[in-house]
Amino acid sequence: MSVSVIELNQLTKAYGSARGISNLSFTVEQGEIFGFIGPNGAGKSTTIRTLLGLIKPTSGSAAIFGKDTVQHGTEIRKEIGYLPSEVFYYDHMKVKDLLNYSASFYKKDCRSRIKELADSMNLDLNKRINDLSLGNKKKVGIIQGLLHEPKLIILDEPTSGLDPLMQQTFFELLEQENKKGATILFSSHILSEVQRLCDRVAIIKEGKLVKLEKMSVLKADSYKRIKLETTAPIPLHYFQLSGVHELEVKGSMIQFLYKGNLNVITAKLAAIEINNLWLEEPDLEEIFMHYYEREG
Amino acid sequence: MNMYSYELKAYRSFTLIWTAALVALAAFMLSMFPTFTHDAESFKSLLRSMPESVLHAVGIQIESITSLLGFYSYTFMYVTLCGAIQAMTLGVSIISREWRDKTADFLLTKPVARSSILTAKLLAACTLLVLTNLIYLCAASTLALLVSAASFDLTVLLLVSVTLFFVQIIFFSLGMLLAVLAPKIRAVLSISLGVVFGFFLIGILGASTGADKLRILTPFKYYDAAYIVRHAGYEVSYLWMGLVVAVTSIIVSYIVFMRRDVDLV
Repeated sequence: MSVSVIELNQLTKAYGSARGISNLSFTVEQGEIFGFIGPNGAGKSTTIRTLLGLIKPTSGSAAIFGKDTVQHGTEIRKEIGYLPSEVFYYDHMKVKDLLNYSASFYKKDCRSRIKELADSMNLDLNKRINDLSLGNKKKVGIIQGLLHEPKLIILDEPTSGLDPLMQQTFFELLEQENKKGATILFSSHILSEVQRLCDRVAIIKEGKLVKLEKMSVLKADSYKRIKLETTAPIPLHYFQLSGVHELEVKGSMIQFLYKGNLNVITAKLAAIEINNLWLEEPDLEEIFMHYYEREG
Repeated sequence: MNMYSYELKAYRSFTLIWTAALVALAAFMLSMFPTFTHDAESFKSLLRSMPESVLHAVGIQIESITSLLGFYSYTFMYVTLCGAIQAMTLGVSIISREWRDKTADFLLTKPVARSSILTAKLLAACTLLVLTNLIYLCAASTLALLVSAASFDLTVLLLVSVTLFFVQIIFFSLGMLLAVLAPKIRAVLSISLGVVFGFFLIGILGASTGADKLRILTPFKYYDAAYIVRHAGYEVSYLWMGLVVAVTSIIVSYIVFMRRDVDLV
């Protein structure tokens, strides 16, 4: 059974100029980790802020848990955990007090949960907020977003300021929450993080939906990056065949993107003397650029 | 309730400092009273030599200045000025702080209606202003009893002093409205000082030129101490006037605050 947790219906937020979103429609299903990707300024934050009731849509609507975000915002937000890209809190407060204050908005006892999350991320609860480094502030944000065990976790560019190790812990936390049943909306312009976590992605550009696809399909429907080093220079036309893109030859180094029958290309490769060979799965970045070029 | 107690705590020391300032100001002024009355006649003749418009402007009434209530009424003008700055700063700050410190996202993504947020802030501020006034009333009456050799009507003194609360509520509501309309205010104190002194100057201008119409423009003149001393009561129309200004500002604040888009900071 699949239940829509988020449902966007022709959601539009118009600002005077190019900013904003127009006629955005997609749904996020129960239990999904949904990637929401696009470059800076594409409208990711605008969409998220509309979902949270921080801004009001110009037209169209959005529903979370089947309830309209404008009319039932207060009720919906009980089950949402939100982590913005930059976190700001009352500086003079201690971490502990801030988190307790945050918890006091939910009718739950969150004390053991706060302790548990803080331990898993090595955060000292007795420090003052304004004595914290950027990374530690971010940890406060993560705990603040997860302490009430929300059914929907909304993350807006969440990894900025986290070191790679902490990012790892953070992703594990998210996966745990997801296993417990939480749905996650993960916005990012760093595509590798989406690649790892998400089941489906929506790609947006200039406020419009460009592509909505399962991660597996998106990756299958794509190119291989091939890079090789030959013993002797190879004439440029050797690799000029259908399915080869962005062919680059620098002396004995050759690289290109390939999409098509792999046997054709391996036969080509076998026929020449090779010193070294790299065959890479293109990351989403490249898929993404490809979409942007084609659709844009 | 959590937000209410948070705000109370956040503005506790702010309120204590301002309350202390108000009491100190009243104490300073009242401490000069014995000196003035000691040589009442020569003091009065000194005042008579001054241009009438100046006396009007600063609110001095020669016949009553040497009585305790007259003297207190005169000095009270500066207490309300100080109290207005406190209230306006509180009103502006309690709203704009969320934008200045960029905590609006934190608060507004919690499962609370925006109206509850504003109500919590409003109630907290009112509590703090009531507290300020209770302390001030006690201090002012004690000080007046200490410095006055002759007896005076304590009720009238209290009637005059309570107008501090009325003026503060008006300036608080104006401050809140201003902050809701322009939430990105950073220089809270300068803005408050500017607005409060603006109104104060309108009052002085009105008094010195005798232009009674200007009175309606400035909350400082809604509660005329001299009138209260003479009649042991307030001018009802201006009581209403103050109430209307405060209530309107608060209602508009709610409407704007509930509709406002909270853009990225």
